[in-house]
Order: sequence, then structure tokens, then C-alpha cells
Amino acid sequence: MTPRILIVDDEPQIIRFLKPALSAAGYATVIAATGGEALKSAATEAPDLILLDLGLPDLDGKEVIKQLRVWCAAPIVVLSARDRETEKIEALDLGADDYINKPFGIGELTARIRAALRHAARQSGQQTHVKAGNLDIDILAHTVTLDGAPLKLTPKEFDLLAMLVRNAGLAVTHRQILTAVWGPAHTEDLQYLRVLIGQLRQKLKSTPDSVDPIQTEPGIGYRFVGET
Amino acid sequence: MPETVSRSSRQRATSEALLELAANEHRGKLKVFLGMAPGVGKTYSMLSAARAAKAEGKDVVVGVVETHGRSETAALVDGLEVLPRRTAPYRNRVLMEFDVDAAIARRPDLLLVDEFAHSNAPGLVHAKRYQDVEGVLQAGIDVWTTLNVQHVESLTDVVEKIAGITVRETIPDKVLERADEIVVVDLPPEDLIQRLKDGKVYLPENARRAIDKFFLPSNLTALRELALRRTADRVDEQMLTQLRQRGVEGPWPTAERLLVCVGGDEQSERVVRSAARMASALKSDWIAIHLATADRDEGDRKLQKRIDKALRLAERLGATTVRVPAKDLTAEILNYANRNNITQVVIGRSPSGRWPRFLRRSLSDELTAEAQGLSVTVIAPEAAAARRYLPDMPEPGALAAGMAVATVAVGLAVTTGLLLEQLSPLPNMSMIFLLVVLICALRFGVSAAVAASIFSFFAYNFFFIDPRFTFTIARPHELFALLIFLAVAVITGSLAGRLRDQANATRARAEATQSLYEFSRKLSGAPKIDDVVWLVASQSAAIALGRSVVLLSKGGADLALEGAWPPEDALSTPDWAAARWAFEKGEPAGHFTATMPSAVFHFRPMLASRGTLGVIGIAMSEGDDNLPAATESALQSFADQAAVAIERTWLVDEAARMSTAAEGERLRSALLSSVSHDLRTPLASILGSVTSLRQLGDRIPAADQAELLATIEEEATRLTQFVSNLLDMTRLEAGALDIRRDWIDVTDVVRAAAKRGQKLMPSRKIELRMKPDLPLVKGDATLLEHVIFNLIDNAHKYSPASSVTTIASARLESGAVAVRVTDQGYGIPNDALERVFDKFYRVGGDDGRAPGTGLGLAIAASVVRAMGGEISARSPISNGGGTEISIMLPEAVEPARQISSKTT
Repeated sequence: MTPRILIVDDEPQIIRFLKPALSAAGYATVIAATGGEALKSAATEAPDLILLDLGLPDLDGKEVIKQLRVWCAAPIVVLSARDRETEKIEALDLGADDYINKPFGIGELTARIRAALRHAARQSGQQTHVKAGNLDIDILAHTVTLDGAPLKLTPKEFDLLAMLVRNAGLAVTHRQILTAVWGPAHTEDLQYLRVLIGQLRQKLKSTPDSVDPIQTEPGIGYRFVGET
Repeated sequence: MPETVSRSSRQRATSEALLELAANEHRGKLKVFLGMAPGVGKTYSMLSAARAAKAEGKDVVVGVVETHGRSETAALVDGLEVLPRRTAPYRNRVLMEFDVDAAIARRPDLLLVDEFAHSNAPGLVHAKRYQDVEGVLQAGIDVWTTLNVQHVESLTDVVEKIAGITVRETIPDKVLERADEIVVVDLPPEDLIQRLKDGKVYLPENARRAIDKFFLPSNLTALRELALRRTADRVDEQMLTQLRQRGVEGPWPTAERLLVCVGGDEQSERVVRSAARMASALKSDWIAIHLATADRDEGDRKLQKRIDKALRLAERLGATTVRVPAKDLTAEILNYANRNNITQVVIGRSPSGRWPRFLRRSLSDELTAEAQGLSVTVIAPEAAAARRYLPDMPEPGALAAGMAVATVAVGLAVTTGLLLEQLSPLPNMSMIFLLVVLICALRFGVSAAVAASIFSFFAYNFFFIDPRFTFTIARPHELFALLIFLAVAVITGSLAGRLRDQANATRARAEATQSLYEFSRKLSGAPKIDDVVWLVASQSAAIALGRSVVLLSKGGADLALEGAWPPEDALSTPDWAAARWAFEKGEPAGHFTATMPSAVFHFRPMLASRGTLGVIGIAMSEGDDNLPAATESALQSFADQAAVAIERTWLVDEAARMSTAAEGERLRSALLSSVSHDLRTPLASILGSVTSLRQLGDRIPAADQAELLATIEEEATRLTQFVSNLLDMTRLEAGALDIRRDWIDVTDVVRAAAKRGQKLMPSRKIELRMKPDLPLVKGDATLLEHVIFNLIDNAHKYSPASSVTTIASARLESGAVAVRVTDQGYGIPNDALERVFDKFYRVGGDDGRAPGTGLGLAIAASVVRAMGGEISARSPISNGGGTEISIMLPEAVEPARQISSKTT
């Protein structure tokens, strides 16, 4: 069954290329030009994923996310401009799964779509085993091995890594990490997170120039990149 | 309970003492060499002490020292630095005065200034030298000065009594009280007289005659006592101050508070002086109160002046002055005393005769009888001043007028009476006279009424009582009736007259209130600063019955003359100096004051919450020594209200500026977001399409591939157009766009633009209605095409896809060529019509999502105007929708048509 994607954008030019491109990539598409239409289509068409532009003529995109998240679990990928950082963070905190900056290449978009769909599937199946290069992480077994040798992580480091791995491929905001690892009282303590991420990156590196599996999303948060 | 009160007042005293100490820390110290009379050697002592100080290494400078040609004194000055005097022209002479500014600029440790009570030449900043000294002290420079005891204000009447001389140069007691140190320069009277005989005492020529009367051993002894006592009081006080500052517990004298009642009689100044001496001896605060009664005070200018003078004297002597409206004097005094913790009341005994007292107790008697827990000091009138003061005593002119009115009125009454008698005999003719008396009272006041009563008394007797035409009365009961008539006439007459006076006073007060109310009403309605200034100037001139000026300082700038009534654009130098003084110190200055009294205008500051905004100046047309209290209070309330109004208009202006700035800021950020959106959307389409084709090309059906390629092309065109619009706008703004002046055919240009528009949006329908044989116009074909293309693009953006856009051309009567681009779109709201040609203005752009950049029409307008044409917008066209944008290009002198068509 082909996954169905709801595209919410009021710019006809964007729709014009997204529709054929996504069909070619193997997805069925449903189009909505306004927030109202988006909510209606999400209810009637049961999309597997929602591509949402934040600037809509009738409703603010964030408002759409808020209303969708009350009853809809489909992953939401936000289409947004690079300079609207606070909007992206708010969207992610409200329940969006990922974001992509305009303008974007179709390859990057489809990769994000795949990651989001995978994550949604895992949410039900609880797969918690990730590989990245010569790194092997098994959250349930509580083991992290680098080049086959077990790594010793502090409990906080492990919590942080588990949080990122569970959302592998998706952007996680600072606030979401801080809440999950330190608790809701520490949502502003960015410094804790910076230090811990630094330590974790050191431990996960096999050679000085190996690819860092933890990517920084400037101003927003982090993203774990690996294969399941 | 009483303990609590005394303790709290004691604590207050301590904190006040500390505050005083703190305030004194930055001030220079004042040392006064006090003598009992000229010739005791004050200047000599001061100079000797100064030399000693200099020897100790102090920087001592002589500001003013009068050696009076005496070699001993001159020798002491020798070796000290002497400041040059400043010259002040006065009448035909040039006076050498102390130069305050030079002294402050020189900044010595210690400055010597002789003759503390000296009066400055007119035209200088201060009327008195002690005010100059105050300035020097405030600059933190120590000052030593000399003073004779007779110059102390509160002692002048005592001195006058002792020595029989009137002292004109006086210093307020407060000034002497603020001195940090007083040194008595003492000499036994016998020695002083000996020195005088030896010619060692300098006296001005005109004073020589007074010598014999003044330098008597008895006088000198009395003055010596005064000087010594003054100083002893000081020592006492200093000790107390020190105790307080150190926080030493009592026993201190309980705080006394003195209240002196100031009336309008001859002796009121004397009462004030006595009270001042008592307050000084008690070291207590004192308050001078005047109780204004409605029925007599208002309208009596002489009385008002006497009251003003007495209150001003009290102020100079250190009192707080208050005016309280009152009906029952005694009750009001006691009430005030109660509320203000007064312990002693000083009042002058009214020098009334014996029989009024029989009718009514005098105020002082009543007060003595009613006061509870207060000590009442009654100052007895002086023999010389024991003339009775009649509050209702009219001026001679008014009296004469009253007599004349009464004579005529009584004459009329007699005539009427005689005529009536011819018709039918009245039983009681006196009623006619009573009527006349009442009319006189109501129309002309008490004096006319009393005069009419007396005249009626005689006329009635003469004309109507048997035997008639004589003043004799035949029957005794008629004499009795006549006397009763007189009594009734006088009493009703004066009552009615007083009623009239009261009504007049009430009316005057109501008018004053009304004018103030009108003023404040107009002020609150005045929207602009100019209106406010004009109102203030005209109203101040009206209350001054003269001229007025208004000076304002905007945003910390120097004072500037903003308004005047009658109009005037310059002020004299002393007026400027006084105005600045009033502005800087926030106190009245200029005429009627001690600061710059030579100025023509009297200036009062306009104080508002942010400080002094400016000053109001008035010049009264009638020569007056003092500013009448009524004018002063009216002017003060004008100044207060004006300050509020001016501040309000300034705040409104400021708020408007702020909101304009905020609006600009909002526009800029909206612009930034819209530009970034407009650039990014085509880029996103292009990038997305290209990457789709490259990565998924083989999986995309051919039709979709063509669609993607078309998207790329269109979006690239759109981007190009947007970028070129941005560049055009930038060039237009920088004035860098070259506009050619070629002959162009408008029809060709419109066709080209329409073709381009069609290409951009193939689905849209464009209808051309071009008039044939349009004349050529001068302009730039490329730019005009761009303009028309922009108009078409704009029409497409703001109308539904199915509608038709019409381009019509026509030749106007004026010869100009018009091109009109009409759409069937949503139209433009009325309030936006004016602004559609503004840069970055977009209709309905609240969410920042309206199509377009807000540049197309702005560029069109700029280009059309640069080509000498006009552009306008009209909406709605029909059915509440549609917009028409018209371009008018002016007619140009056309060359031969064939040639131009051949060449092009």
C-alpha cells in the first residue's frame, strides 16, 4: 500500500512540482491550500504523513498542528523558511516531527519523509536498535558498542543517547531533550545539554575524523543519523 | 499620649538636624563680623583675621573691602589679592560693585565681602549684596562679611525707636540665622565716641548731620546690647544644633509654634515685627495668617496692598504666610491654630474707639476669651498709629459722588412727595424717603445710603412736618417719629448697601473663577503648542492689564521667546537675565522681586512633572510697587495650568513621533519577510523541480516532466521580474535610472506589454481597446512597457482567474494620451487608494501573505512621474469591485509623423 501524503501549502508553484515529484517517489498525494482544508482532509483522507507549510492564509500553521495533535498521530513535517527559527521550534514543541527549510531538494525531502514514516511505524513496534557506522546501539539491551567493544556511558549520557536514537533521523528540540533527560524544571538549562552532548560525542567517536552521528540543528536541537 | 507626640517631634528634629548638616556640607561657610555701629572696627577685625588665615596657607581673596581711605585698613588689604570690581552705570555715575561671577570663577578658599547689607546698583542680577554672597556660598566658597546690627530686618523698628533713624538697607533675619559663625566686634560706647572725635570713623557726607543724634552713649549702649543679645541667642542655638546632631537626648525646649494674625490696619507691620522677634527668641517656626472676609476685603485696593505688604514682610522675616477665607474670624483662627499645633497667637489690638467695643467685642478680646490652651499675645496699638481704621471708609471721590447721588435722590423724593400730596394726602410721607434710601443703597452703596438717610431726615422735616418749610417741629411725637425714621433709614440703608457690596465682591470672585475656568477649558481644548502659548500669553496679559511674554525651553535648549501679547519679538538684557534666573531656579524673578528688579517683566516659572518648562512674564501697565496678591495668585494658577497643558502637547507630539517610528519599524520587518518570501518561493519551486527531475526523472511520466520544466521556466521568469523590479526601485531611489526621451508610440508599447503579460499567465484573458491615431509621446519605451506590464501583472494578481483585464487608450482634451488598465477584481478599499503607489504597500497584506511585493505600482508611479505624466487609481469601477489604474502622458510637440514612422 502506498503511503498517502497530505500536502498543505497555499503556493500553487510548490504544489505544482511536489505533486508529480512525490508521485514519482512512490507516494499518493492529497492537496490542501488552507488550514481549514488541511484539518478536513486529515480527518477524511487519513494521510500517513502531513507536509505542512507554516504560512497559511486562514490559520497559522502552528494552530493547525495544535488542532491536529488532539486526535491525529500522523507524522507532521513542516516546510519553513530558514529565518523563522522560533516558529520551527514552536512547531516541533507542539508536536511536529521534523522540519525542512525552503528551498529544498527533493532528495532531502523524501529522506525526511522516509525517516518520519519509519519513526511512526516504530512507535507502534518499539524497535530500538540502531547502527551508525561502526556504532551499535541497543536501547532495550542497554548496550552501546563501538567497533565491537562495549562503551561505558554514564546514566545521563545513556538517557540522552536513547532519546536521540528513539527519534533517529528526526530533529529533536533542546526543550524536548531537556524535559526528557533532566525533567520539566530544566527546560532552559541549555548549558547542561551542551556539556553532555560534548562528552557523548567524544565517547562515540572511533577516530578523530569519523562522521559524528549526532548532528547539530543550529538554534533548534539535535538529530541522530543512523541506519536501523 | 502627650509623651508620644513630644518624642516623635524630637525624633523629627534629629533627622532634620542631620539633613541640615548634610545640606551644609557642600555649602561654603559664612562668617559674619557683627558690630553695633559704624566705626567699631569690623572691617579691621575681618582683615586681621583674614591675614592670619592666609599665613596659615589659605587662599584668601578680597571681593569687596571699603577702606574709606583709612591707612590702617588699607595697610591690611595690602598683600591680599583683590578682585576687580564690576562697573554698573547708575544715573550719571558709574558705581563699582562686587563681581559675583568673577569671584565664583576665581574659586578661592575664602572670600572677603564687606558690608553685607549693601544694596546693589539697579540693573545687576541681585538687588542686595547678601544675595550675591548666597551665590558664592552655594558655589562652595567660604565667605567672611561685616554687618551692623541695625541692618537686621526684625530689629529695624527697635533701632528706629532707640536711635530715631530709619534703616533702609536691611537683611532678612533668615540670612543671618544661616550664618555658620557670628563674631561680635565690640567696643565700649565711650571708646567709640572717642574714636569718632579723633576722626577715625568714616561716615558718608549725608550722614554727618545724624551723628550727634546717633552716637549718643545711650543709643550705643542699647545697640550694643542688641548685638550682644543676638549673638548670645545664636550661641544658644548652635549648642542645641550640636546636641541634636550628636543625637543627645533632651531636655530641649518644647517646639513652640507661633501664629501672627495680619490685618489690614496701620499697625500690622509692627505686629509682624514683634512676632518675628518673639519667634526668633523662642527659636520657633512661625506663621503669618491673613483672614480674608468676603464682605469688606475684596475690592478695597488700599487695604489689599497693606495686607500684601505685611505678609511680604513676614515672609522676609522667615514666616510661612497663608491666606484663609473666613466668615467667623475668631473661630477660623482657633481652628487653624488647632490643626497646625500652634502654641502662641500674636494679634494686634484693634485701636477702636470705646463705643464700637460696647456693641461688639474686638477680635483680640474675643480671641483671648475663646482661646483654650493657647497663649495669646496682644500687641497694643501705638499712640501715633491709633487712628481708627474704617474698613468701609470710601475714597474721597466716591464719598463726593455718594453725596451728589443722595442729594439728587432726596430732591426727587421731595418733588414726588409734593406732587402726591396734590393728588391725595398720604398718611405717612416718610415711606417715600425710605424707598429712596434703599434705592441709593442698592445702586450706589453704603455711603450714598447713609448720606441719603441724613438728607431725607432734614428734607422730611423741612417740607412735610408742621410747621412746614422750617426745621422746627411743632409736635413732640413727630420729633420722635422722625428720629426713628432716621435710625430705620440708616440701618436699612447700610444693610442694603453692605448687601450690594457683598454681591459685588461675590460677582468679582465669580468672574475670577469663571475666567480661570474658561482659561483651563480653552487650554484643555488647545491641540497645538502654538495655541496653548497664544492662550497663555493673551490671558496673562489680560490679568496683568498690561503686557505678557511666554518663554519656553524645548528639550533642554535655551529659553526662546515663543509668544507675547501684544506681539513682541525681543526682550531687554535684564529681562532675559531675569527670565533665565526664574527658569533655572524655578522661582519668580524680575520686577517685584529681589532678583533682577530692574527688569520690566515679572517672570514666573511654569513647573510641570518633568521640571521647569519655561516662564511667563508680565508687565503691569499701572505702576505698582508690589504685585497685587490677586494677580499673583491668578498668575500662579495660570502658570501651573499652562505647564500642564504645554507638557500635554509635548507628550502628544512625542507619542506621535514614537508611533511613527514604531510604524516604520513594523513596515521594515514586514518588508523583509515579504521580500524573503517572494524570493524563496520561486527558488523552492525551481530547486524542487530540478532535483525531482534529476533524482526521479526516470520514474516521472513525460507529461509531468514537461510540467516540471514549465514550472522551472515560469518561476525563473518570475524571479527575474522580481529582481529587476527591486533593482529598478533601487536605481529610481538612487536617481540612477536613465530615462530616455524618445518619440514612442503608446499602442506599440501596450501591445508588447500585453504580450509579455499573456506569456507570464497564459490562462488570463487580456482585452485591448486601443484608439487608432494616437499621437506619439516623449518617453522611454522600455520603461513604459515595464510600467504597463506591471499594471497588467497587478491586475492579474488582484482579480479572479476567470476575469478579463482590459487595457484601453484614449486621447484626452488636453492633448495628453491616457492608458487605462482595468480589472474585474476585488477593488481597493477607499482608505488605501492613496497609498497603493507607496513603496511596499500592499492591499490586504496583514498576514504578509498577499501576492506581490508592493513594488510594481510604486515603480510605475515613479517612472510615469519621471516622464512628466500622472498616475491615478479608481475603485470600485462597477458592482462594488474592479480597479482602474490610469496613466496620463503629456502631449508633446509632434514631429512629422511619416518621418518618425519611417525611422522607427
